[in-house]
Amino acid sequence: MSNVLEVNDVHVAFGGLKAIDGCSFTVEKGTITALIGPNGAGKSTMVGSIAGAVSITSGSIIFDGNNISGLPTYKRAQGGLIRTYQISREFGGMTVLENLLVVRLGQSGESLINAVFRPKKSKDETNQLVAEANDILNTFGLYRLRNEYASNLSGGQKRLLELSRAVMAKPKMLLLDEPMAGVTPALIEILGQHLLELNRSTGMSMLLVEHNLEVVDKICSRVVVMAVGKRLAEGTLGELRQNRDVVEAYLGGEVHERVGG
Amino acid sequence: MSVVLGYLATILVTFFTYNIFTLGLNIQFGYAGILNFTVITFMAMGAYFYAVFVMPPANASNQVFYILGLHWPWPLASIAGVVASGALGYLIGLIALKRLRSDYLAIVTLATGTLLYGLSGDNNKLFDGWAGLFSVNQPFQSVANNHPNTFSWIFVVISGVVMLAVWWFANQLYSSPLGRSMRAIREDQDVVDAFGKNTFKVRMLAMVIGSTIVGIGGVLTIQYIGALSPAGWTTGETFVVWAALLVGGRGNNIGAMLGSLLVAVIFNEGTRYLPQVSSSPNLVPDLRNIIIGSLVILSIWFRPQGVLPEKKAKFYELPLKDKYAQTFAGAKVDQDLAVEV
Repeated sequence: MSNVLEVNDVHVAFGGLKAIDGCSFTVEKGTITALIGPNGAGKSTMVGSIAGAVSITSGSIIFDGNNISGLPTYKRAQGGLIRTYQISREFGGMTVLENLLVVRLGQSGESLINAVFRPKKSKDETNQLVAEANDILNTFGLYRLRNEYASNLSGGQKRLLELSRAVMAKPKMLLLDEPMAGVTPALIEILGQHLLELNRSTGMSMLLVEHNLEVVDKICSRVVVMAVGKRLAEGTLGELRQNRDVVEAYLGGEVHERVGG
Repeated sequence: MSVVLGYLATILVTFFTYNIFTLGLNIQFGYAGILNFTVITFMAMGAYFYAVFVMPPANASNQVFYILGLHWPWPLASIAGVVASGALGYLIGLIALKRLRSDYLAIVTLATGTLLYGLSGDNNKLFDGWAGLFSVNQPFQSVANNHPNTFSWIFVVISGVVMLAVWWFANQLYSSPLGRSMRAIREDQDVVDAFGKNTFKVRMLAMVIGSTIVGIGGVLTIQYIGALSPAGWTTGETFVVWAALLVGGRGNNIGAMLGSLLVAVIFNEGTRYLPQVSSSPNLVPDLRNIIIGSLVILSIWFRPQGVLPEKKAKFYELPLKDKYAQTFAGAKVDQDLAVEV
């Protein structure tokens, strides 16, 4: 199996602070890989640097065979790399349906000439997209809310919107930065099933930053552990549970004493 | 009677041109969220460049100086004026849109406007300094000279047609995927970027389209009046356009129209002809500004979206193919969460 993502010896420094200090790992095509680690390990910075929001100081990031380290964010997304955010960032003043419509690339009505002078063509295209978006919204349980302003949704619904919007973009790979943060246990279950279903039906690769190990256990085939800006370990969750370094980093020295003593 | 007719025509032309300014700003701010705090500079660019393209070479013996003086026919000069204001929008966009957003962008536009204001005022070789340009060739010059009222009404029709064309254009843009991208950028530029759109390009388009439209209004203004000096495009004038858009309803082109009617015509122009108080000649203009300022504060306080808020987008929808075959999770979440809205 080939790798959809390769992170090679990436360093990120903010002034004197080394947020990522030589981190390497890979994500196999078609898998859901988890990225875990204690707070401040550099997970969100890593997601940011893969997506292009954070520029790396050195190292390289290979996505789908291309070195994307120097590309601007939008070019990485055009290549099929789509991210979601730790805090939902919906387009509040637009309807749920519009939130989905806007993200599809390559719409003919995005050029000024077509937009103004050939509205018929673009309208037909939009109707097609509306049907597609409604199907996705239906899957994620947001169909009834499609004409609601996104700012009026509840926290959990915004999470679902964030995910359905990412699906609408038809990515090759999804970067999910704590998609379950602040979500009720019932919805965590549902979101997890959605991700698994999506991965199985479309073969979409995912990198999932997550603190909830139960979720990781259920849906992720591999786990990468980060601590203080470095990759600490990689493997299945079962393997990592046996790894003393991981347990120590994740749960603190206290446990080490208890385990050791 | 003819005085009343002439006045009515002037009011209509004012309404149409301000409406054009407001529509231009609406594309920049209402659609794409670009805080352009120097709207009126683009009006001046359109007007000045129309003037220097249409006027004969400057006559130094009259102590009047300006650049170019190409004496082009007025339709070509109009195009030159419009292109000039669009080009200025592009240049400011290059400086401001690449890295800056919201408040910093606003500062850059304000600073550029002030700079150009000072430059064209203090340097009398460009557009004749503080005196400004006058006796600018008008379309249908002989009619304008001999039958001013007929000219006014011809101009009502011209500016009305241009305004309708701009209005149509703005609406086409709004409902298109491009317009949707602009509004998404207004909501959250980073996210649009992360979904693969070149947000710089889209914002630049909004900037240039808006500036071009304001420039069209500028060309019409100087064609109607035949003169423009820096006193006619102070920063205060920019805020009349802003007030019109905010009061009327940003993101809504009918709101922009209503706002220009309320602010630009009824409050700004309407109060111009109140009787002057001889002991304090500034009383009426000051009152006018106070009224417009209060109107903005009141509308932002009580109706932050404006009198006519942005309309909710509606689409032609077919019913879902399998309405009842909702997925396990879909059905569940729908029932659990739909009530929360």
